[in-house]
Amino acid sequence: MFLVWLLAVPLAGAIAALIAPNRAAKGVAAITSIVALIGYAGLLFINRSSVNVPWIPQWGIRFHLVADGLSLFLLGLSVVLFVVAIVASNRDLGRPYYFWLLFLEFSVAGLFVAVDLFVFYVFWEVLLVPVFFLLTGWSGEKGKKAAMKWLIMNLAGSFFMLIGIVALAVIHHQDGAGFTFEISKLSGMAMAPGIGSWLFLAFLVAFAIKAPLWPLHGWMPDTYRESPAPLTALIAGVLSKAGIYGILRVMIPIFMPQFREYQTLLLIIATLGLLYGAFLALRQTDMKMVTSYGSLSHMSMMALGIFSLTRAGLLGTTYYMVAHGLMVGGLFLVLGLLEHRTGTRSLRDMAGLNHSAPRLAFYFLFFVLGVLGLPGLPGFAGEYMIIQGLITSHFLVFALIAGFVLVVAAWYMIRVFQAVMQGPAKSSAIRDLMTRHVVWLVPLAGLVILIGVWPAGITSHATPSLYHAMHFVGQGGGVRL
Amino acid sequence: MQGIVEILLLPLIGAATITAFKGLMPKRLPGIWASFLVGVAFILSVATDVRLSHLSGAHRWITGSAWNFVTGFGPSIHFQLYLDPLSAVWLLVITGVGALIHVYSIGYMGDDPGQPRFFAFLNFFIFSMLLLVLAGNLAVLLIGWALVGLASYFLIGFWYQRPTAVAAAKKAFVMNTLGDVGILIGLALLYFHYHTVGYTHLFAAFSRARPGSAFFEWSAFLLYLGAMAKSAQFPLHMWLADAMEGPTPVSALIHAATMVTAGVYLMARLYPLLRLAPVTHELVGVIAAFTCIFAASIAFFQQDIKKVLAYSTLSQLGYMLLGVGVGAYTAGVFHFMTHAFFKAALFLAAGSVIHALNAEQDLSKMGGLWRKMPWTMAAFLAATLAISGIPPFSGYFSKEAILGQAYTSGHYILWGVGVFTAGMTSFYMFRLFFLTFFGKPRDQKLYDHAHEAPWVMTIPVVVLGVLSVIGGFFGGWLNRWLSPVFHQYAGAPHAALGVGPLFGTIMTVGLAVVAFGVAYWLYIVKGTAPQAGIRAVPGVWMYKTWGMDIAWMTVVVNPIKWIGNWAVEAEQGLLAGVMGIANGIQAWAEDLAPIETGYVRRYALSIMVGVVALLAFYLIRIGFIS
Repeated sequence: MFLVWLLAVPLAGAIAALIAPNRAAKGVAAITSIVALIGYAGLLFINRSSVNVPWIPQWGIRFHLVADGLSLFLLGLSVVLFVVAIVASNRDLGRPYYFWLLFLEFSVAGLFVAVDLFVFYVFWEVLLVPVFFLLTGWSGEKGKKAAMKWLIMNLAGSFFMLIGIVALAVIHHQDGAGFTFEISKLSGMAMAPGIGSWLFLAFLVAFAIKAPLWPLHGWMPDTYRESPAPLTALIAGVLSKAGIYGILRVMIPIFMPQFREYQTLLLIIATLGLLYGAFLALRQTDMKMVTSYGSLSHMSMMALGIFSLTRAGLLGTTYYMVAHGLMVGGLFLVLGLLEHRTGTRSLRDMAGLNHSAPRLAFYFLFFVLGVLGLPGLPGFAGEYMIIQGLITSHFLVFALIAGFVLVVAAWYMIRVFQAVMQGPAKSSAIRDLMTRHVVWLVPLAGLVILIGVWPAGITSHATPSLYHAMHFVGQGGGVRL
Repeated sequence: MQGIVEILLLPLIGAATITAFKGLMPKRLPGIWASFLVGVAFILSVATDVRLSHLSGAHRWITGSAWNFVTGFGPSIHFQLYLDPLSAVWLLVITGVGALIHVYSIGYMGDDPGQPRFFAFLNFFIFSMLLLVLAGNLAVLLIGWALVGLASYFLIGFWYQRPTAVAAAKKAFVMNTLGDVGILIGLALLYFHYHTVGYTHLFAAFSRARPGSAFFEWSAFLLYLGAMAKSAQFPLHMWLADAMEGPTPVSALIHAATMVTAGVYLMARLYPLLRLAPVTHELVGVIAAFTCIFAASIAFFQQDIKKVLAYSTLSQLGYMLLGVGVGAYTAGVFHFMTHAFFKAALFLAAGSVIHALNAEQDLSKMGGLWRKMPWTMAAFLAATLAISGIPPFSGYFSKEAILGQAYTSGHYILWGVGVFTAGMTSFYMFRLFFLTFFGKPRDQKLYDHAHEAPWVMTIPVVVLGVLSVIGGFFGGWLNRWLSPVFHQYAGAPHAALGVGPLFGTIMTVGLAVVAFGVAYWLYIVKGTAPQAGIRAVPGVWMYKTWGMDIAWMTVVVNPIKWIGNWAVEAEQGLLAGVMGIANGIQAWAEDLAPIETGYVRRYALSIMVGVVALLAFYLIRIGFIS
């Protein structure tokens, strides 16, 4: 029941923000998100919280939500990042903006705890709407076009997923076991090889579009470029994880034979995406696009972890999702502050800003180092586990390429930092950070350091759930060490 | 564990307090506070080493772990520390030489407005370096390894408004990341095989293994890649010469005495693995010898006082890893120690010169400074004699030990390269010494303003100068001290200091003396200008670093940029395709009107309204049920 209340908080807050006077909307939203965060903290003390009631009994659909080790930390990532994004937003954006943000928080939170495929799908669809309206209403000049691309590509993806979900339920029914949309009941189900592969592809396309994974990232550049910084932080930090999370939560339990059959092909595609994003990031001159393509590359890193089909890789991806979400979210917000101060995003128009804004430079560098995977910050432990997974599954070549990409990542991230902050000062001085920025930057940085030096805090909790999810396919030693 | 954690935390506290309270601190306080903490860390290190020496030989180590680092897919990896005689040597040098350089920096950085930032970085470096050598497993080592790289990045780019400093910092960072990745993959391989990355467990397992499998070669090579980047072995040496953009105390501490020797530490630490990977072990020695002579040749005609010292550091790192490569582990560590003394003395003395000449580093503006700076000159001379291998100065003993064992272990070619390089070293070092301190002043105005450095700078220089003289006599102690380390596991039968053939010693010292004579004749008797030799072949090649910068650009950097450009084009094509499809769908949707209005906006809203209504209904229903 606790989970339902937790979901109700942002929904109620959204409505309150809509009713509240324009000037109070941000306050209402901030308080709501903080209440959700406190509620989440309470959830951490309840070992395993769940809701499971029938919804549409005729079809075997149940309103089933679970906060287990797999979803718990992604839920945490979203409640934390929503607080930060709301606090970092401008006060004068108006009621609808905060309404849509809180509504987005509601749908993301629901998605991360749903374990009935139908419920999962509902949240998956709902998610598209607030982002669409935020993009059309509060973006740059090409925001409408970006919103259109976002909606069309993602709707196409969910269309495939819908077919897949219905087909799974039907196959389960034809086996004489009745209709169900429960992931745990669908897992390990025998499917005809051809059908299995097609369904696998349908789900994979849906999740890959959302992440996005190369080459299905067509919506990404415009959306990331045009969206306001808090929204970019949320899309790159939280929503992108929904795609990877879907692969872990839905596909791993159900499609293990297909994963194993196409493993090498999947690894090759993920590796190409890894390289593609990194090389593109290296050649961008817009600081936001460097980070965006870097993020595209890192999404492929997470996919590599899953496709290694090892415990280390799956666990590494689970951890890395949270770590990357916090860091890339922070980075996009810092870039937003920079853009707000300088009025530009082009690396050619900025230089030497460290002199006038040392504190801004400090946090900028902090998140840059985190994203590039500095050992001691969380990116490192995630990448380590993913590479460990690749090596454990005897794919040394992919591990070496992933290692090479880490070097390129160091290159393109440091390049951005130096171009903006160092060298002889080109533009006029800018204002440094103020207390109202530090109040969200310090806790966020502290959290990043905490999970960076203590990854076991997450991995030890995620392990049982992950194995529980994989247990159904474990016959014949499904997953290697 | 007690005692070790405190040593580790002191400099970290320094970095944190200076960063947090720099606004409140009076001008000199950050430097004094930072130096004080490192000084205390040194005293604690001595005390800890005394405690360590009371343990019996076979159990001479202290270890402990704090918390789980990662867990969940196999045996946990802990945050583990480990102190044995090998790490103790580094501990002493890092805190000891580190404290001296901190004190020196109080004077050297006295007028720089970025002083607090400088000392915070310097303390952060000491912390990271201590973490590196006190790590009890490869994962913690890698964290320290990367953090020293970060500290080095900060300090190379300390004067961040200079474009050259920024470029140098980037190069150092990226090249070192390559090394970090090598260690990362290497440790993952070892974990895969042995389910641990802790030293004691790994080495015990290595002792039972038989050499020669590809697995061992791969892991050893990947770990060596880390050592190569950090210790600036050819072809990953480029960053170290550029790193001279940092303030001179940084060059002394990080880019000469301590951080760049991390590769020596790692390879000495991993001797049980090198036994299992004979090809990689041989490669360590070969690349080291090549780096040794290659860097020495570049140092020959450099025009910048710090560039000469930078290439001599590269060359000396070659000696240290040559020792490791031929199995003379103690000799390699010995040379690390003496090198820390004499190279720190050289850099700090050079720093005093640069300080006295208003930041002038060009040799063509120096000359005759001995009259103005007698103490600095004396320390520089002592260190020059040491690095040139003139007995009984410290460098003679350690270099002899390495070369002697290279010969006795049958590496005659590597030995020959080492001997010849010893002569080259003597030449370029005395060239530097004479051009700086003797002859006629080449820039009278600078000369007139020159003065001896303040005592806060001179004392550390003189102390290091004295250590360069007497450092060689620590050899016997070091040999006994390290012997339990290299007897603990199989793989280092000839680790102890050995003696080479007499004719070898005579050749090495003879060449050094002849080279000194040549330098004396050229630069004192004939008064040759510093620029002589850099116009004609082969001097121009040597001066221009044998075209390595161009080679790197052509072979590595530009191809990566080309691929990047190609990816940009591919991306444009892909996005155009997506746009085409999107437009097509929209047109199609508009054809379907009035069923579909074509307004995506309205469609989106209708999904939303429907779903919310549905959800709200059932949420209420659930509320009623339970």
